[in-house]
Amino acid sequence: MKNDNLMKRFLAAEWSSLLILSLVMMAAMTIITPRFLNFDNQAILTRSLAPLLIVAFAQAIVIGIGQMNLAVGAIGGMVAVFFGGMMEAWGFPIPVAIAIGFACGVAAGALNGAIIAFSGINGFIVTLATLSIFKGLNLGVTKSIPFYEMPDALVWFGEARFGPFAAILIVPVICVVALAWFLKYNIYGRQILAVGGNAHAAELAGISNNRVTILAHTISGALAGVAGMLSVARLGVGQPTIGGDWLLASFAAPVIGGAILLGGHIPILGTVLGVLVIILIENLLVLYGVDPQYNEFFVGALILAAVGFNHWRSLRAEARLKEGKA
Amino acid sequence: MPPRPDAVNLNELLARIAKSAGLALIVGVLILIFVYGAQGFTSKFNLFNLTRNLSVAAVVGFGMMVVLALGHMNLALGSTALASVMIMGWVMKVAALPVPVAVGCGLAVGSLLGLLNGWLIVKTKLHSFIITLATASMFLGLVLIMFPGGPISDLPREFTGISKTRYFGWVSGMLLITLVAGVVLAVMYRFTTLGRQMLATGANPDAAELSGIPVSRAILLAHTLSGFLAALAGVMFTARQGSALLSTGEDWLLASFLAPLLGGTLLAGGYVSVVGAFLGAMLVGILQNGLVLIGVPDFWVEFVLGLTLLITVSLDRLRNVLAARRGN
Amino acid sequence: MTDVALKIENATKRFPGVLALDHAALELRPGEVHALLGENGAGKSTLIKIITGVHEPTEGTVWVDGEEVTFKSPHDAMDAGIGAVHQERNLIPRFTVAENIMLEAVPTKRGQVDYAEMRRQAEYWLSELDLDIDPDLPVQRLSVAQMQLLEIARALSLKSRVLLLDEPTASITEHEVQVLFSFLRKLKAQGVAILFVSHKLEEVFEICDRVTVLRDGKNACTNVPISDLNRDGVVAHMVGRDNALSDLGHRAPVDAPTKLELKDVSTRIGHSNVNLHAKKGEVLGFYGLVGAGRSELARALIGADKITGGQVLIDGKEAKISSVQDALRKYQMGYVSEDRKGDGLILAHSVADNIGVTIWHKIAKFGGFVTDTMQRKSVRGFVDRLEVKTPSLQQTLGNLSGGNQQKVSVAKWLAAETEILIIDEPTVGVDIRTKGYLHKLIWEVAEAGVTVLVISSDMPEIVAVADRLIVMNEMQVVGDLPNSRDYDEMSQKIMQSIVGASDLKESA
Repeated sequence: MKNDNLMKRFLAAEWSSLLILSLVMMAAMTIITPRFLNFDNQAILTRSLAPLLIVAFAQAIVIGIGQMNLAVGAIGGMVAVFFGGMMEAWGFPIPVAIAIGFACGVAAGALNGAIIAFSGINGFIVTLATLSIFKGLNLGVTKSIPFYEMPDALVWFGEARFGPFAAILIVPVICVVALAWFLKYNIYGRQILAVGGNAHAAELAGISNNRVTILAHTISGALAGVAGMLSVARLGVGQPTIGGDWLLASFAAPVIGGAILLGGHIPILGTVLGVLVIILIENLLVLYGVDPQYNEFFVGALILAAVGFNHWRSLRAEARLKEGKA
Repeated sequence: MPPRPDAVNLNELLARIAKSAGLALIVGVLILIFVYGAQGFTSKFNLFNLTRNLSVAAVVGFGMMVVLALGHMNLALGSTALASVMIMGWVMKVAALPVPVAVGCGLAVGSLLGLLNGWLIVKTKLHSFIITLATASMFLGLVLIMFPGGPISDLPREFTGISKTRYFGWVSGMLLITLVAGVVLAVMYRFTTLGRQMLATGANPDAAELSGIPVSRAILLAHTLSGFLAALAGVMFTARQGSALLSTGEDWLLASFLAPLLGGTLLAGGYVSVVGAFLGAMLVGILQNGLVLIGVPDFWVEFVLGLTLLITVSLDRLRNVLAARRGN
Repeated sequence: MTDVALKIENATKRFPGVLALDHAALELRPGEVHALLGENGAGKSTLIKIITGVHEPTEGTVWVDGEEVTFKSPHDAMDAGIGAVHQERNLIPRFTVAENIMLEAVPTKRGQVDYAEMRRQAEYWLSELDLDIDPDLPVQRLSVAQMQLLEIARALSLKSRVLLLDEPTASITEHEVQVLFSFLRKLKAQGVAILFVSHKLEEVFEICDRVTVLRDGKNACTNVPISDLNRDGVVAHMVGRDNALSDLGHRAPVDAPTKLELKDVSTRIGHSNVNLHAKKGEVLGFYGLVGAGRSELARALIGADKITGGQVLIDGKEAKISSVQDALRKYQMGYVSEDRKGDGLILAHSVADNIGVTIWHKIAKFGGFVTDTMQRKSVRGFVDRLEVKTPSLQQTLGNLSGGNQQKVSVAKWLAAETEILIIDEPTVGVDIRTKGYLHKLIWEVAEAGVTVLVISSDMPEIVAVADRLIVMNEMQVVGDLPNSRDYDEMSQKIMQSIVGASDLKESA
């Protein structure tokens, strides 16, 4: 009886289908290519997983208030080269560079949020504009030349692994746990979800929509910055192109995970699994020696499948609700 | 005083003109600055190049504008263009069919992909952003799978010649294509049932539906048109490059939104300005061209474009707020 | 402590082109339930918005506990101890019941949200209201009635000394109403001042102590003890019968073939076995409480929602309507929405475009070409005939007053030359002059042979305008009454139909 109930609850959870999907994928890949379970491959997998996880949440938090942040990649890239530059050109110690880089991400996000809140201009347009502003700053200052001389400690951190897990995975784990706590137990985290769920009701309850907008974008900018710096550690190079290909995945993971663009809901587990599925596809292609660029197609198809699935599920739930009432 | 319902309100007419006039003035000032400040700006070669780039950019902007009219977006504009030109290149080069047939195939592919976007949006009732984000990467991925050999180069001279025609020695012949597209669009929005239906759908889809407008049809057609315009821009771009490149459409996202938004088209739907979108494309094109000529590195141009978008939209917003305050 | 909890004097609110509230006054004492009554558009919602800090009055003063206050935002009002339950739901769908109740004052412990304490406090308020709702349930899984009661629980949790309830019983069952009332009595005893806004006079007489009635933005009566009034007196204050509706004159009963007939129609929304018919040139009135399913039936009829069973006959032949386009083009059927801003009109577009929208396909030449001049030529007659006050046909519709907007939404269907016209709440939010005008227009249109279906929650209006009345309750037709146009007689009969139907349901 109790098991039955547990099973039902598991299946009712929005992330259950994703978990099954990723488990099936992993099982299939293990059978087809035993190399999949190889620690080297696992380390590659978790290493590419790490920055993307943070990127996905940088987007998810803004989706949570019903907006978008097209500039996640641009902020990530800008912070990444700034981070690299501080260490190579100015010889800053790593902790100082991290602190300044983090502050830079926070400032960029806060700027986005403040412009949106105070001008009342649609967040899409604002972040589209700041996307090119940040990207222009990044490329203009570096002239598109990467910083190659990264401190040894950073390079070591980027390459180290514990068994199958890349060491850098620790950063997204901390970020995701902190964010999950924040959204569940912190009053400002609750306010973000409240505004996303019903902005008018939240305003009436004394929650300032403007402040929440700025807060969500600031967190988004901070996470994007962290993801940028983590990418530098992962690649061992402060590359200006970091962040250039984040846009699709940043939306794909939360949407696959069950986020709705209208806001009010940030699926933590769903987003994590969404990133995992995306990385698994990429990994599958790598193992087969297929150009990883094909990944694009599958991620796109996955988004469509996921939104289609969610749409179908909500239709079914609605139908069931009506039946129940009749 | 008896109302005179048929009298066209002079103020409104002026406001309508003023909307584009402001942008035209900025473009004019910019031209003056570069004519005097940027060496080589007025050279025939540079002007030819400028008008050539501008005509492509304007069509890209039109492609976004027609879905913005609905309050939608088309993030797949770039990859639609890519798919169209690759197939056109294949038909032209590998299948060796006549150029007009190949171009026709390219435009048909674009329209079909646009139709697919529209169909998905109508069927799932989901936000066009997420649908076209997904299809954008699917189209791109499909092209990469279908064309592992990379770009298709050495396209026939008959085709590339489109981009080489020039009038008065400095006006690109492609500008003519753009102007025709613009006039057709302007006529559509101003003088046809279909255009009016699209705008009504964009301004208030529920009211449009309850007024007996075939809303789904309007959405399907607008997205098809968007796909067609994307393909047209791709064809023009390819004619200039001489080869069907895999990088086609890669960096169109900003440009496609810039032109219509600078021109006053609303993101929320229900209002478009074809002249505005053209002027917006002009502003972007001239800015890019002039800045490079006066020695601003390429990298900073994007920075300036982002800033331009932000400032223009803010000014527009400010004007509306002030107007509302006066209204009270 | 003074003996006046809330006092408003000279409250005036001017919107561009409309005087929504004209020197209105109201006084609330601790421990009373005070009814605020008035027809749609009388200024109730504007007054409520001033009390709750949504609007700042153009003129006028508000006192709370004898102290003059100005509310800049809803939160100011809340801080002053004014709790409100609005008509639209102000809940966060994915949050739990407990968190929604405690949204303004989330309990925390060491910087963390204290869910246990939140639950404990929420349970207290739920038990106070005698509500059997699981505090851990997400709000989106509740019924509409539960949500309503939840909002009251929330307003109370703020320890409000003034509680404003805007149509709290509109969508809850009789039993739930009694639960609510017994709770309101308890609050009264505790000295809470309650402002009760409702359309249902029975409830007002049951629970309220004093009454204030608004009409056309002015006080028709102010702070009158309920014992000094009877039902007729209240209605007289609300409609001001002497000036409102008596000049419509007489209309002979219609003797014409049946135009529209519904046989055992059921819909996806939940209507079942709806049977009715309307003759050519007849004005058929639809009365019912909010949620009776009148607008929903209209939407299904014009193809905006699905009809799942039965037959719709037009001119004696079965009509297949699968979209609004079908309804308009095949059967010349039109629907004037009650929600002008939402789905009735395109406020951002011009007057001409809003009227022309239904006829573009007709006036177009060469397979789809319509110029502004052609459009103006086609719509000008209707603008003139309906006396729409607009500086030009190209004027943005959103700039016109509510009354003129309503004229435009009728004009667009007249332009479409409909044979069956459904008008949903024809006079909501329009001034009294326009109201009389629209009533006359409905008759004129019917005189010309159009079958007009009028949906209205305004009983005096429906009694004055309709030739015959269909009474609906809970998605069913519960009465089909010939209209004698005698208000007292008809209002009795209508209420009997509704009450009789509910009784039948109870006993079943």
